[in-house]
Amino acid sequence: MRIGLLTEGGYPYVNGEAGLWCDRLVRGLGQHEFDLYALSRTRRQEDEGWLPLPPHVSRVRTAPLWTAEEDGVRYGRRARRRFAESYGELAGVLCAGPGADGGDGGDGPNRADGSKGADGPSSADGPGATAGSGTAPGSLVDRFGGALHGLAELARDEGGLVGALRSDTAVRTLERACRAPRALGTVREARVPDLLAVAGHLERALRPLSLDWYGDDGLGAADLCHAAAGGPAALAGLLAGHFSGVPLLVTEYGVHLRSHYLAFGPDAAAPAVRALLAAFHGRLAAEVYRRAAIITPGNAHARRWQEHCGADRARIRTVHPGLAAARFADVGEAPDRADPDTLVWVGRIEPAKDLVSLLHAFAEIRKGEPKARLRIVGAPAGPEGEAYLRHCRALAAQLFPDEAEGVHAVGDNPVSFEEVGGPEAPTLADAYASGAVVVLSSVVEGFPVGLVEAMLCGRATVSTDVGAVVEAVGGTGLVVPPRNPRALAEACVALLRDPERRERLGAAARARALELFTVEQNIEAFRNIYLEIVSHCPVRRVVLGQAGEPRPFAVPAEAHVPGHWTSPTARVAHRAGPGWAQGTAPRPTPARATARTATEGAR
Amino acid sequence: MNGDAAGAPNGGVGKLDRPGRPGAADAWDARSQEWLLGADEDGSGDAFPADGLQAAGEVSPRGRRAAEETSGSRGSAPRRGATADPVKALMHRHRALCERAVDPLEIAAGLEAHGVTDRTAARFRHRDVFSLAEELYARVPRDEAPHPRPEPASAPRQRADLALRTLLPGAVCAAAVTGLRLTEGRPRLLVAVAGVLAVALAVRPALRRGPLAVPARTPTWRTATGTRAWTCWLLAYALLGDGLLRAVMDGGPDGLPTGAAHGPWPVTTAPLLALTLACAPAAWSTRLLTSSARRRLASSRGLEEFTGAVQPLLLGTLALFLGALTALLALCGAALGEPAGYPSALPLGALLLLARLLAVHHVRLGPALAVAAAAEAAAVALALAGRLPGWAFLAAPVDALVDAWGPNSIPSLVCGAAALALLFRAARTLTRAAAHAPAGDPE
Repeated sequence: MRIGLLTEGGYPYVNGEAGLWCDRLVRGLGQHEFDLYALSRTRRQEDEGWLPLPPHVSRVRTAPLWTAEEDGVRYGRRARRRFAESYGELAGVLCAGPGADGGDGGDGPNRADGSKGADGPSSADGPGATAGSGTAPGSLVDRFGGALHGLAELARDEGGLVGALRSDTAVRTLERACRAPRALGTVREARVPDLLAVAGHLERALRPLSLDWYGDDGLGAADLCHAAAGGPAALAGLLAGHFSGVPLLVTEYGVHLRSHYLAFGPDAAAPAVRALLAAFHGRLAAEVYRRAAIITPGNAHARRWQEHCGADRARIRTVHPGLAAARFADVGEAPDRADPDTLVWVGRIEPAKDLVSLLHAFAEIRKGEPKARLRIVGAPAGPEGEAYLRHCRALAAQLFPDEAEGVHAVGDNPVSFEEVGGPEAPTLADAYASGAVVVLSSVVEGFPVGLVEAMLCGRATVSTDVGAVVEAVGGTGLVVPPRNPRALAEACVALLRDPERRERLGAAARARALELFTVEQNIEAFRNIYLEIVSHCPVRRVVLGQAGEPRPFAVPAEAHVPGHWTSPTARVAHRAGPGWAQGTAPRPTPARATARTATEGAR
Repeated sequence: MNGDAAGAPNGGVGKLDRPGRPGAADAWDARSQEWLLGADEDGSGDAFPADGLQAAGEVSPRGRRAAEETSGSRGSAPRRGATADPVKALMHRHRALCERAVDPLEIAAGLEAHGVTDRTAARFRHRDVFSLAEELYARVPRDEAPHPRPEPASAPRQRADLALRTLLPGAVCAAAVTGLRLTEGRPRLLVAVAGVLAVALAVRPALRRGPLAVPARTPTWRTATGTRAWTCWLLAYALLGDGLLRAVMDGGPDGLPTGAAHGPWPVTTAPLLALTLACAPAAWSTRLLTSSARRRLASSRGLEEFTGAVQPLLLGTLALFLGALTALLALCGAALGEPAGYPSALPLGALLLLARLLAVHHVRLGPALAVAAAAEAAAVALALAGRLPGWAFLAAPVDALVDAWGPNSIPSLVCGAAALALLFRAARTLTRAAAHAPAGDPE
């Protein structure tokens, strides 16, 4: 099969997010051909280059999200009217209300129905919003999708979308939508700078529409689009689905909508701007989830967000991230040589990890177990992390005086701060191995990678109940409420005093992690999902002859067989049709490609 | 309602906050300092119950909740004061988040970032964080007062720098003209060449940075080069064109210009000197236009209002510049003892300023500059063609014009028409908000 892998700010760039995961995925599924379509976020990222790519990556196309060149196309009267219609539709949908409110009425089962809050949003939004979303539930979703498609078709036929989205027509259309009688209250007070800001943000968010990726030489030729993130990458996948009927698989390890909310906080812009952009990203997420063949969240937390945004449960498959288990194998299988009184914390030091709570818990632990020691292994994350580390060191020094074996020995603090690579912990696995119990004290956590590493090392763990911790740890470790040093302390003491239980939990943890959180299971899950998608929604290509009449049997059944059914060099032939048809050069349904900002590098 | 509930949680809120995630850089600092000093002793004595400590999966959340509730321990707001409205306490704690959120999902995202999970939400009798967030969103009193808007970023103060850069072309040009006046013969030729090069180089910094700079977004290389070429041609015509036309009409020219103001091919340096000196007023008036347009942008409620406010600004800017240019022309004419050349220099100045304004705001110039340059060239070419036997009628219009108003009339007509066209264009495009949108691409 040919997979179009869509990434944003990630693979194949050297410093991209989730680059490791994508790299393992691409290398692990060598029987498929991969085409990479990468959106880069910054100039620096683009300058730093790509990771080395395996040979079955047949091509890489990149496009920048951080800049856009106007191609200088000026719209004529008809094109301008088309643009104004589509953009007006889009603006109208956005002004009607935020993403989670209106249009998802059809996806009822997942709607939050808290008895107290059920009638909340509508009453807060005012009667206008109720009327807007109430009269035709579901139609807003269709209108949003229609507007996106309209703009994308305009960009394909005429080009010049970047300039048009920044033009006065766009701003005026936005203003009209904001002043419409049914618009949200927040939006109605948008002023000129707000309108300009929204137009600018929308232009940036809609850049995938102007790309020339969707032709038959691009995503149109793929059997499957795999978007490695939500947002712009998934938008490109949506368009591929619209233009060529390619099924879309969306993988989200972090929900794009949620990161938008967190990144675009109250101080980032005026309320009207935030309301409109939140509505756009909400609608976009809903549209992506609605159109995607399969959605694979990385954990239950992401899954909840997706379900809340309207994803159909039947099409969600949670695929946990995989870790390379090999480097922890030695430690995990060797007998426990750790100092039985040592607790270890491993991670990036930042306030969200709540080390203060851990130190207080450790003070509590030492009341029961005076010989206990705590090793904090990790590097601070950013300037805030450094300040936090300094504070924690000071706190540790104040809580725990240095102590020595006897009168003649040099004292030492029971709490040590180390970094991986130091003499005490040359590797990450050694850091985990040095502790009898691994502790996690975070108050905020996504997928707890450190915890899974500890599990792979066969350590007993005590963690706070945050993020996906319970999901990861299952029954193989102790879980306490966050921000509760006393409970954390009691759990640790219980484990420190019971080596047998420690060993049992450690073995169970390792078994669980090997079963669920390895690279192999991750790749295997995607292998199956690829096959599932292709078997359920294959791309039906109508191959046209030169005269324009359809050619039956031009795409043979073998084209759908997974893996190479001919040698890779015969790819062009099997795309275009069998050998006997080559002379007449059949071509799939024409789709004019307009070359603009994208650059191509052939591999 | 719940008056006491609102009062009681004040103590409760403090406890709720106890070993929390820091909200700001100093929050955790101050708080843990207090703990270090032992100031905060309330509530630290009661432990999380032993039955809260178990392997996950052994006890279901429901069971755990029941256990917590029966044990009556601390750890959650709802049980602090039986009459308390737990959600209200939570709302108070996340007041800023709730008041400024634009939809429930934003509150949900913010709550989760503060460590609120579905299990926390269950303590508030909600199924998940989303429904809790919806209740908060619905209940929070929203202040309808307009939020303070961020002041538009004022242009960086670099007056001295800007003044130096914009005065440089005029100074260099004055030096070159002085050099021309003081030299004779071959050295004068060298001075002329060096002067042209020096002025060209001196203009660059004035146009590269400051208010006259084109933000690095568009124009494609070709249009930029075209604009530059036409501008050079127009300036060259201002310097040499009138003399050439007169020489052609008189049957010349018999040789290259000598650089003198009097002779067979006279050179008019006064307009050019005034135009280079006018870089400074051009930069300042552009800056004035940009900054006041930005202010109007921030204060306008609608696009129509903005357009109405900017139109007089644009015309005022142009008038200001033309006034300054007139004064400079008079000054240069007097200093050099030449005619000031108002009729040709003023339209040319207006044309160049408008072209630059449009380019700065990413509006296409269209063919105005090119047409003006071509028309000037055509005038000379027609005059020359009129010499051919039988083709004298070609030169008739040019002759008529020059006889009626002098050779000055050709550039003044041509540039005036082009400037009017650009003014019309600017009045339509530069008064739109989209032209003044802040450059958006973060790099």
